[in-house]
Parts: sequence; C-alpha cells; structure tokens
Amino acid sequence: MKRNFINRGFAAAGLISLMLATAACGSNANGANGANNGNGAASSPSPSASQAASASPSASESAKPAGGGETLTVYLNDFDEIIKPMFEEATGYKLELVTGNGAEIMSRIEAEKGNPHWDVVWMDSMPSIEGLSQSGQLLEGYTPANAANLTDFAKGFVPANQSYYPTGAHAASVIVYNTEAFDEASAPQSWADLADPKFKDAVGMADPAVAAPAYPFVAWFFESKGMEEGKAYFKGVLGNGTRVYPKNPNVAQALTGGEIKAAALQESNAYALKNGGEPIGIIWPEEGAPGSVRVAAIQKETDHPEAAKAFVDFLLDPATQQALIDQGEESYFEPSVTGVNPKADREPNAKLVVAEASFASGHEAEIKQWFADNAVQ
Amino acid sequence: MLNRIFAYGNRTGWLVLAVLVLLILLPLAAVVVQVLLPGVFFGTWQIGDLSLLLDVFKRPLWSQSLKNTLILGAGTTLLGTVIGGALASVRARWSFPGARLLDLAVWLLIITPSFILAQGWVMFAAPGGLARQWLGWDWVHSAVFTPAGLIFIMSLSKFPFAYLAVHAALEWKVDRLSEAARMNGGSSWTAWRTIQAPLLLPAYCSGAMLVFMDAVGDFGLPASIAAVFRFPTLPYSIYSALYTSPIRFDMAGVLSFYLVLIIALAMSLQFYALRKSRYDFLSSRAVRSEPRRPARGDWALAAGTAALLAAAVGIPFGSNLVSSITRSNGSAGSSLTFEHYRQLFANGGQLADGLLHSLGIAAGAAAIGLAVGFLVSYVLTYSTFKLRQTVDVISLISLAVPGVVLGIGYIFVWNQAWLEKIGLLLYGKPAILILASVAGAIPVITRVVTGAMAKVPKGLLAAAQMQGAPFGRRVRTILLPLLRGALVSAALAAFGASVFDLATTSILFPPNFMTLPVVINKAFEDLKFGYAAAATLTGGGIVIAVILAAEWLFKPRKRKERKT
Repeated sequence: MKRNFINRGFAAAGLISLMLATAACGSNANGANGANNGNGAASSPSPSASQAASASPSASESAKPAGGGETLTVYLNDFDEIIKPMFEEATGYKLELVTGNGAEIMSRIEAEKGNPHWDVVWMDSMPSIEGLSQSGQLLEGYTPANAANLTDFAKGFVPANQSYYPTGAHAASVIVYNTEAFDEASAPQSWADLADPKFKDAVGMADPAVAAPAYPFVAWFFESKGMEEGKAYFKGVLGNGTRVYPKNPNVAQALTGGEIKAAALQESNAYALKNGGEPIGIIWPEEGAPGSVRVAAIQKETDHPEAAKAFVDFLLDPATQQALIDQGEESYFEPSVTGVNPKADREPNAKLVVAEASFASGHEAEIKQWFADNAVQ
Repeated sequence: MLNRIFAYGNRTGWLVLAVLVLLILLPLAAVVVQVLLPGVFFGTWQIGDLSLLLDVFKRPLWSQSLKNTLILGAGTTLLGTVIGGALASVRARWSFPGARLLDLAVWLLIITPSFILAQGWVMFAAPGGLARQWLGWDWVHSAVFTPAGLIFIMSLSKFPFAYLAVHAALEWKVDRLSEAARMNGGSSWTAWRTIQAPLLLPAYCSGAMLVFMDAVGDFGLPASIAAVFRFPTLPYSIYSALYTSPIRFDMAGVLSFYLVLIIALAMSLQFYALRKSRYDFLSSRAVRSEPRRPARGDWALAAGTAALLAAAVGIPFGSNLVSSITRSNGSAGSSLTFEHYRQLFANGGQLADGLLHSLGIAAGAAAIGLAVGFLVSYVLTYSTFKLRQTVDVISLISLAVPGVVLGIGYIFVWNQAWLEKIGLLLYGKPAILILASVAGAIPVITRVVTGAMAKVPKGLLAAAQMQGAPFGRRVRTILLPLLRGALVSAALAAFGASVFDLATTSILFPPNFMTLPVVINKAFEDLKFGYAAAATLTGGGIVIAVILAAEWLFKPRKRKERKT
C-alpha cells in the first residue's frame, strides 16, 4: 500500500511541480521587467526617444523605432489589446499594461501612493484624474506636439497646469429602451422622463459609487442644476422605482433579460447590444448626453519621462485615434483631435455635455455618498 | 519566564501565529489602521475621524448593509448547513446511483466564482429569462428576487462547505457505539440523533462557520441578484467605499472591522457550543466508513439528490451553457453557435495564458496552504498554546474580508520602498498572488482539517511520543494516514477556490500577467456574456479535470487499505 501511495504521490508531485514551474516562469519574466523598471532612473533617455516625443503629427507612422527597449508601465481600462503592439511598433518602447475597471485602477494608484509602479494612467475617469492632479501626483506643464490637433471641444478639458490630456469622450449614459416594450415615440425622450410615472419601475441605471462612467453621468446633473436641484431630480428618479445596478454590464443584462424596459446606459455598451442583435433602441436626449472624458496623465516621479511623453503624444495622433475607433473595443467615442472619423453608425448629432472636472472632483465624495444613501431607501 | 513562553509545544504555536499574522492580519491591519491614521503609509501623521465607527448605525446604506449581512449570513448558515450535512450523511452511509455526481457537483460549486453563479441565476429567473421562456414559469422571478430567494440561492451555492467538512469527519467511524444503541433497541434514527450527530458537532460547526463566513463575505451573489430589489450587504458597501474618489480606505477599514467583529461573535458562539464535550472518539476499533447499498429506496435517494443538484448546479451552469452556445438575433430569437468557444483560442489565446497563470498560483497556494493549515489545525487541536483562540480567529478572517480589502492591504505591506533594498518588494511580482491566495485558502483548509482532526485522540500521539517517535514521525505514521482524505479534500478545495479568486488578483496581478478570473471578468464588463460563459465553462472544466485526477491519485482507496 505504501509503495502505491508513493507512486501516486510522485505522479501528483510531478503535476504540481509542473504547475509551479509555469508560475515560476512567469515570475522570472516579470522579475526581469521589474529590474528594468528599477534601473530606469539610471538610464538617461536616449536622444532619439525625445525626438519621438516631439515629433510631428504624422511622425508615429514614419519614425523609426527609437525607444531602445525602455519599458513604460501604463494603467488603463480599455484598448489594452490594440494599443500595445501599435505603440511598440511606432516608437520602439516596450509597454507593460495593467488593465482593470476604473475603480480597480484608482484603488491601485491610491494604495501605491508611497511607491508608485505606474508611469502613465489612461482612463475615462476625468474627475478622479483631476483629483490626482490636485494632490500633486501628476507631471505638469508638458505640451505634446500633437496637442495642436485638439478639437475646440477637447481643448476645454486641458487643465491650466497641463497635467492631463483628453484622448476622446463618450456618453456616460444615453437612453436605451427595449423595442419590444416601447417604440421610438413611446420610449423616454429626455432625462426628465426617467422620473415620469409613465416609466415607473421600468428604468435601470448603474451605481455611480461602483461603475466608473456612472459618476460623470450623475455629476453633470448636480453641476448644471445645482446641488439641491440635482438631489431633487434624483429623488424623483429613484422614487420612480428606478433600479440601481452595480455596473453597466448588469444594467445591460437586466435590459435584455426583461427586468427593466429602459435604462441610462453607457454609449459603447448600448451600441454593443444593438450590434449584437438585441432589440435595443438608442435615444440621444436633446439636452445632451452627460459625457465621460478619457484622459492620459503622467506620473510626476516617473523614471521614464520621455517614454511617457511619447505615449501621451502618440494618443493625440489622429492616426492612433482613428485606429482605436476602427479596431478598438470601446470604439464609440468622440475623438479629441481633428481629422478623425467616428464610427459610421454613431449618432452624427451626438451632443455631449460634461461636468467641469474641478466641480466633479470636488463634490465626488459628497455626491456618491448622497446617492448611495438615497438609493437604498 | 522566556523559557516558558517558548517551551516545547509552544514553538509551533508561535510559528503558526507569526505566519498567520504576516499573511492575513498585517495586510488587514494595514487597511484598518487607516481609520486611526489615514495616510500613515504615505508619510503623514494625522488622527483619523473615529466617529466613522459609529456611522454604521447612522448612514442608511451602512446600517442597511449591516442588517442585511446578518440576515443573509444567519439564513444561509442554517439552510446551507442542513443541506450540506444531510447530503454528506447520506453520501457517506449509502451508495446509490449518481453518488459520484454529487461529489463532482460539490467541487464545481466550490470553485465557481459567485458572480458566475449569480449571472446564471439572473439569466434563469429574469422576467424574460429561461424559466419563463422554456418552462413557462412566471412565478420564478418574484420568488427569486426577494431576501428569502437570495438566502435560498446562497444556500444552494454555499452548502458544499458544510458537505465537505461533515463528509471528511464521517470518513472514520466507531461502529460499536451505534451498534450498542441499536442492540438496546434504538431505531437507526435514534442512533443517529443521540450518538452520531452529537459526535459530529465539531464538523457541523466547522461547516457552518465556513458557510457563514463565505456568505457574509460574498460580493458577487448579492451584488448581482440583490441589486434588483436593493439588498446591499457589507461587502457591497466596502466596494463602494473603495470606489469613491478620493478613495476612502478608512471607510473600507471601518466596514471590514465590523465584518471581523461578526466573525468573532459567531466564533464565540461556536466555542460555547463545543465547550462541554470531548470529540476525540477514534480508537483502534475505528474502521473506514464505506457506503452500502440501502436495502430499498436507493432510487429515491438518487432522485432526491438529482432534484437538488438540478437546482443548485443545473440552473446556474445550464444558463451559462445556453448563453455560451447561443447568439441573440434580436426579435428573431437566438441561434446556436460555437463562435464563443472558437474565440477563446483566437488572438494568441489570452485564455490559455490566464489559465496557466491561475493554475500555477492555485497549485502553489494549495501546497503552501496545506502545510500552514495542517500546522494551524495541529496547534488548535493538540497544543496547549495560550493564544490558540487568536490563531483560530485569524485563520478564519480572510474568508469574510473581501478580497479587494486584503489585496489593498497587501499593496500597503509589500510595496514599501525599503523592501526593494532587501529584494522583498513582492508587489508587482507573481509571488504576491501566491501569498494572497494562501491567505484566502487557509480558512477552508484549516476548517476541513480541524474538523477531521478533532476525532483523533491526543492519546494516540502521546503513546507514540512515549515510544520515542519524533514529531515528523508521529505526523507521518499516525496523522497523515488517518487524515489523508481530509487533507486531500482541503488542498483541492483550496486549489479550486484559488483558481477563480477574482477580487484579490484583480487588484494585485502584475503588469501583463493576466489571470483566468481577470480575463473572464473583463469579457463580462465588455458585455461579451457568451464569451465569458464559454471561458468559465472551459476553464472550470479543466480545473475539475485536474481536481479529479488529483483526487484519484491521492484519495485513499478501500481495497488497498485493507491489505495493510
């Protein structure tokens, strides 16, 4: 019996050590990268790298790889699949990506505050990034060459200290409805309709405390109406039996499953449902859809300032943004630079309204807490 | 004095305590300490706002969360333990068609992340869901989306913990006690009620604690199902505290503190229940219990089990299966497709990478966790170590405290600049995922092993020691053979749970080092429900295969045992 046990033991030990070896391989590879990050401070940026950073708008296509294998760590919440090969090929820098939803990335950044591991953060949470800027965690005063391409709409989001740049904006919420429950005329047309008794118990939205794009949506009402009016509006919406789901995918699922018949849903999710064959109609309210702005910012103490600047500049290249729209996952957005065509089926008259970053950032804790406490009652 | 503190027998105790503090208490303390000293890890010294501690009774969201957590925890513990205990007793005593299926289902439920189970239930019970479409059951929706419905669903997904703990304890039995009862005219029900059930109390308590911890600490199920009728729980509120910007680690700390307090209370209750009696009843007359075929009614047993499994496993996995092989065509209905499965292996196979990473981490966590967990159980069961109760409490905490909180604690602890100089800056390296998974695995391992160890009398070990057998030999020749089944169960449960541990890995995974749950969750967030379901079923299938293989390799087998 003992012998048998030993034999089986060996077989299983082999199985486990095989798995451990797999883990160890990952460990080694990563260790090497870690070392790369560690000595970044010592290695001065090569002149060719700074050339790439200040290159002309079309440079990313023509410039030779120049980064010399320097590794840049970017925290982001989308486009991870396509940005890495694109940027590595265009500049010669290597990219290390950490992908997560907005909240996960912000939690990481905050918890790492004593010893940051990121060089660039690129997310559609402008209020949170504004908060990082105000607490002095971002590199200020950098002007990317491609900033000259910014649209008038996008220019308005660049802060005075130039600590971050917008790379696009999308509707944090549009109105979507199940075409089996409503037609275009009977569906909610405006944000005020969400509080209309006609749509009692029929509407859903994402929780601004948990879903990243839901906060910019809520914040716009509080800014444009004033705090008291904003509270009154959402009291009406919540009092109308509106259901608050943790994140946009939960809202989408409730909508297709029939739990709700209409929703305030993030733009890219709305189009994804529609293109996926779900019976979904999309309405862009006349007063505008509250927008979420995706911005890129550089960590103040980064060991790779030139590579980081090259990355931000690369994101403002019209060719890059066109590629994001043509091939990216979250491809429904308004580009931040001129000469880029949005998705053909995106509403051509899409009107985005955006809460001012300093207001949204300054009132974030208060608004989220108010909303959470009123959503449970 | 010092001599006495580090006296023989206490050394293992201190070692175990140190390991648990490093793996579990320190990261948690790092988060909770932010209530007292926010910014202490960033070099600022200021006293925090202690009134936050009382906010749990004032803020509507928080007080509601606390109340809901207690209701959900109590209800699930009761129902889940009853289901798990009953199934384990039936399975250990009788063999019936489909009994192996029960074991399989239990593993499946343990390893599947609760958000996946929840999605399955939502797909099934939504107003336009499968229950209505396929079965025409309109009542399902209003029955499931209530607190009672949530408790029911939660019990159906957490009972495996009670099942494993009780089943492990039933592996050995001393028949003469029950036989004596039967000879004195007791019915088999009386024998079970007055002899077997009381002797199984530690195992039931262990199982109940696991069910309770997992229920109060669970984020996925309440977040997905309870969102429909607004039933926030403490983990949900912890998430929203962490996801508020500027991030409120202090709020997360306060709420985590209450979760720990709830555990401590539940454990005091358990201590009180176990205080009076001894449970170490194994003697030389113990035999390995072997399921027998009942004289009649084996098909009734099979039918009952099948019905339960159809609800517990069939509904969530069936819904996922349906969603993984169908594509919606809008009003034209849906059509069959294997596209989602094809996508899994397209684009360089992100899934394969994530799966390999996760398997490696889980194997490491199970191996290290088993070593630590065994020592913890040993100290709890046999030592006179003064801080035994402390060890017991710490060994359970990580199950209830949400993984995100523990993950953030790990960043605080393992990302300090000075660690780099001594090569211990583990944050940003895969090793930290193994450590965090060990922390997550310890409660399951220690509960299962302690439940089984409670029956092995200290006298057996003492006798061996008197004959001069050193510690290693006593473990090898006495404990390992008697506990082998429980140890295998514990390690595999830990392995399975670690593979899909989303919360911790999503906050700790190093750059370019995706793990399986991160891949699945990302697909879900991109609304690729079919892909997420296909990835879950494929990943889960592979993990189950690994577990079954390991079980086959390691689990004691009857016939060969008898030869010795």
